[in-house]
Amino acid sequence: MFTISDRSTYEPMLDIFIFETVKQLEQLEQLVICTEKSNCYTENAINEIFRIMHTIKGSAAMMLFDNISMLAHTIEDLFYFLREEKPRDIDCAALSDLVLEGVDFIKVEVDKIKNGHKADGNAADLSKKIRSFLSILKEHGGSPASSDVNKQLQDVKQKYYISQDKTAAAAGKNAFRALLHFEEGCGMEHIRAYSVVHNLRNVSTELNYIPENVIASDESVEVIRKEGFTIYIKTDLTYGEINELLQHTVFLKELALTQMDDPEPVNEIPQKKHIMLEDDGVEAPKLQKEEATVSSGLQQSLISVNVNKLDRLMDLVGEMVIAEAMVTQNPDLKGLELHNFQKAARQLKKITSELQDMVMSVRMIPISATFHKMHRIVRDMCRKLNKEVQLELIGEETEVDKNIIEHISDPLMHLIRNSIDHGIEAAEDRKLKGKPQSGTITLTAQNAGSDVVITVRDDGKGLNREKILQRAKEHGLIHKPEEEMSDKEVYSLIFLPGFSTKDNISEFSGRGVGMDVVVKNIETVGGSVSVDSTAGAGATITMKIPLTLAIIDGMNIKVGSAMYTIPTIAIKESFRAEKKNIIIDPDGNEMIMVRGQCYPVLRLHERFRVKTDVTDIPKGIIVMVENREDYICMYADELVGEQQVVVKTLPSYIRNMRRIRGLAGCTLLGDGRISLILDIAGLVEK
Amino acid sequence: MKEVLIVDDAAFMRASIRIMLEKNGFKVVGEAENGLKGVEKYKELRPEIVTMDITMPEMDGIEALKAIKEFDPMAKVVMLTAMGQEPMVMDAVMSGAKSFIVKPFKEEVVVQTLKKVLVQQ
Amino acid sequence: MAENVAQELWEEEDTQKDKFLTFVLGNEFYGIEIRYVTEIVGMQPITEVPELPDYIRGIINLRGKIIPVMDVRLRFRKPFREYNDRTCIIVVDIGDISIGLIIDSVSEVLSIPGGDIVAPPEVSKGSGNKFIKGIGKVGGDVKLILDCDKLLNDEETENLSNL
Repeated sequence: MFTISDRSTYEPMLDIFIFETVKQLEQLEQLVICTEKSNCYTENAINEIFRIMHTIKGSAAMMLFDNISMLAHTIEDLFYFLREEKPRDIDCAALSDLVLEGVDFIKVEVDKIKNGHKADGNAADLSKKIRSFLSILKEHGGSPASSDVNKQLQDVKQKYYISQDKTAAAAGKNAFRALLHFEEGCGMEHIRAYSVVHNLRNVSTELNYIPENVIASDESVEVIRKEGFTIYIKTDLTYGEINELLQHTVFLKELALTQMDDPEPVNEIPQKKHIMLEDDGVEAPKLQKEEATVSSGLQQSLISVNVNKLDRLMDLVGEMVIAEAMVTQNPDLKGLELHNFQKAARQLKKITSELQDMVMSVRMIPISATFHKMHRIVRDMCRKLNKEVQLELIGEETEVDKNIIEHISDPLMHLIRNSIDHGIEAAEDRKLKGKPQSGTITLTAQNAGSDVVITVRDDGKGLNREKILQRAKEHGLIHKPEEEMSDKEVYSLIFLPGFSTKDNISEFSGRGVGMDVVVKNIETVGGSVSVDSTAGAGATITMKIPLTLAIIDGMNIKVGSAMYTIPTIAIKESFRAEKKNIIIDPDGNEMIMVRGQCYPVLRLHERFRVKTDVTDIPKGIIVMVENREDYICMYADELVGEQQVVVKTLPSYIRNMRRIRGLAGCTLLGDGRISLILDIAGLVEK
Repeated sequence: MKEVLIVDDAAFMRASIRIMLEKNGFKVVGEAENGLKGVEKYKELRPEIVTMDITMPEMDGIEALKAIKEFDPMAKVVMLTAMGQEPMVMDAVMSGAKSFIVKPFKEEVVVQTLKKVLVQQ
Repeated sequence: MAENVAQELWEEEDTQKDKFLTFVLGNEFYGIEIRYVTEIVGMQPITEVPELPDYIRGIINLRGKIIPVMDVRLRFRKPFREYNDRTCIIVVDIGDISIGLIIDSVSEVLSIPGGDIVAPPEVSKGSGNKFIKGIGKVGGDVKLILDCDKLLNDEETENLSNL
């Protein structure tokens, strides 16, 4: 069944599907982990898990992710049983493992989808495991669950008031016979049929229909599909009126309505049980009682906002700040005494400032969600390695820019896995050392000026200077005598690429990941990493990340061995020039002709005094840049490539020393090199 | 102008239905994430038609349907259901739901069902 | 060669008073208060920054943190010496400024009690002396104690006007 036909509807739905499913999986994880702590599945937990799986089943099916939908369905069935039958003696640990395995499968699939790949995972084995877990429960759990919908429907049937008394009915004026066929594939035809009957009861005095056991299930569905649904009705309505009424039936394919002259035949249909329709106050048994489920505690009054809108909002506010300055500091106003104007301008500036702060804060979200994800990591590592570790969270309400959150998660996971794998000792060892049997990992987040500082501290055995030195030597990473290296310097060696080797890559940490990737990730968001340790007592990794991020699209260029980045927005074009287009003006300045216009040439190697072999115009590249309608052509060795860069300001020591015209800041390139970001306005200035 | 209220606890479902309906000339005047809020919104907005999910926290679709019908016997409510929920759909029909849509559904299904129900008396 | 220089740096923080990290520039030994030193690293690729005094060689990337580096030889108006694998960068934090000092090689951590430090002579031999806070006597040797504050903040006006 194809459900979504067109791109413009599919993509936004996909975004929401991913967003909501990820959120629900996180909720589910928390539920399971909490349950493990208390060692039993509460009614609320079961209800929540049921509901989450039910929702995921539905959404995934809509998006045609059948493997996810079917797995969710299997887990939903399991929890339906748990909810209805409330069996005792559930093996909670095994159940938790199954659920988490399911969560992991779906997580992986959603990840594939997020990255534009096919969700081609196969959960057949897992589904089998879940189903057999369920059947074992059913065997042991006393009366097998009657998830048999049909049986329930039959119970319903028996509640109808059935009268054999033919005379009880007042004769309706007209009698009709209607044969209805429903559209193929509309589903639940028996209930649709019943719905028609139900709608007719107000206007009829007698109703019979075939098949009669509409509410009793599959057989009637099949009959209705093949032969249609026949209704005999006695009513005061006219033919036209009944016809119109029936025509409005949803999914009606065909209606054959005939008026019967002789009212009597209504009573002559083979099955004599006709049903007296009174206001019978019939109620189907309440088969699924939804209790008010307790929210998992992570819900607040929130709306989800498209991040693109936020970005646009931030851009607009940025432009507004500039525009406000252009008004209040306009050269036209120079020298004028405008008291009222100044007062109003000050107020405007105040509001603009506050607006800017507010918009920036909108992009900030508390780091708690990321921190809480770590519980699962700790739980899994402890199970697999047979260690006991508590996770302590401090400062989870600290807020961090949304962009940054995404880059912290993976490093944190790696660091925690690493701590548990290599840092925290086994319980017996800890006891021998006089440490509490359970290790502790403390995650803290706090604001420090314009940065956020996040630390991962463990009380394990700490870093081993000798071992690190040895491994570093093996990989040729040491370039000075060991005795001259401080402990901190030695510990920092773990961040070097190539430090983690295949030998020490256990299944969990360093899976080609390694500390150097942690550093890369943090550097990508403009942050820095450091490590400290006390032998025997533990280690602390500290990550310092700037609160907000200035990211621009830039073009990297090379001049000699130096790298520069030009904000893409300033670039008009780039090309290789020919000697013949270069002219020297009367003052001796180099100019270049481009399509009849003359532009000044700025040789970057001269401006920045960089040594390079590329000084011949045709050998290098010209980049034409523009600032406020002023153009210049910059000359560099070559273009390296476009990328999005995080703008870092030059160290304050340098900024305090002098304001370097032409430099807006710097950025770290992928290989760790520093590229200076050009300030086009400063370069274009005469 | 074909005003609809969407009641479903899954943001994904609400969004999907909204997208499908708005493409086809409906106006979504409100959304609610559970039965309780659904009833409130109905009273506040008095939409022409409601899509109502069955499985929701706080108050399920059947309860909400009954509450809405009590408030407004002429209310047009279409239930959203999944396979295996036949007894509940039956209950809903008997409590006055005009029709139902089985998940997962095509865009045409939602649109046609709502259009037909709107012209019913 | 000094043994386990660094080890001593980080032990017993409360006894950092009177402890100095000593290093070599040419024939002279200099000392810098331990409490300013955050780490010592080997030579790193330096990204030059234009329009700065020659003794500011540029900036380096220290695990994501960008810090300026100063060639102390050039700061002291001594002749420039090519960097080799003995050359180190001492990273110091003074106030809220972080800076790397490029020096020939690191020597050892010494305790020099206040009583063993005398004021520098008035006569200035080259401009290196204005950065010296005192002269420390250790055994028969002399260690020139650096005035970090002046090192960082004192502007060489002649340098700037050359640009």
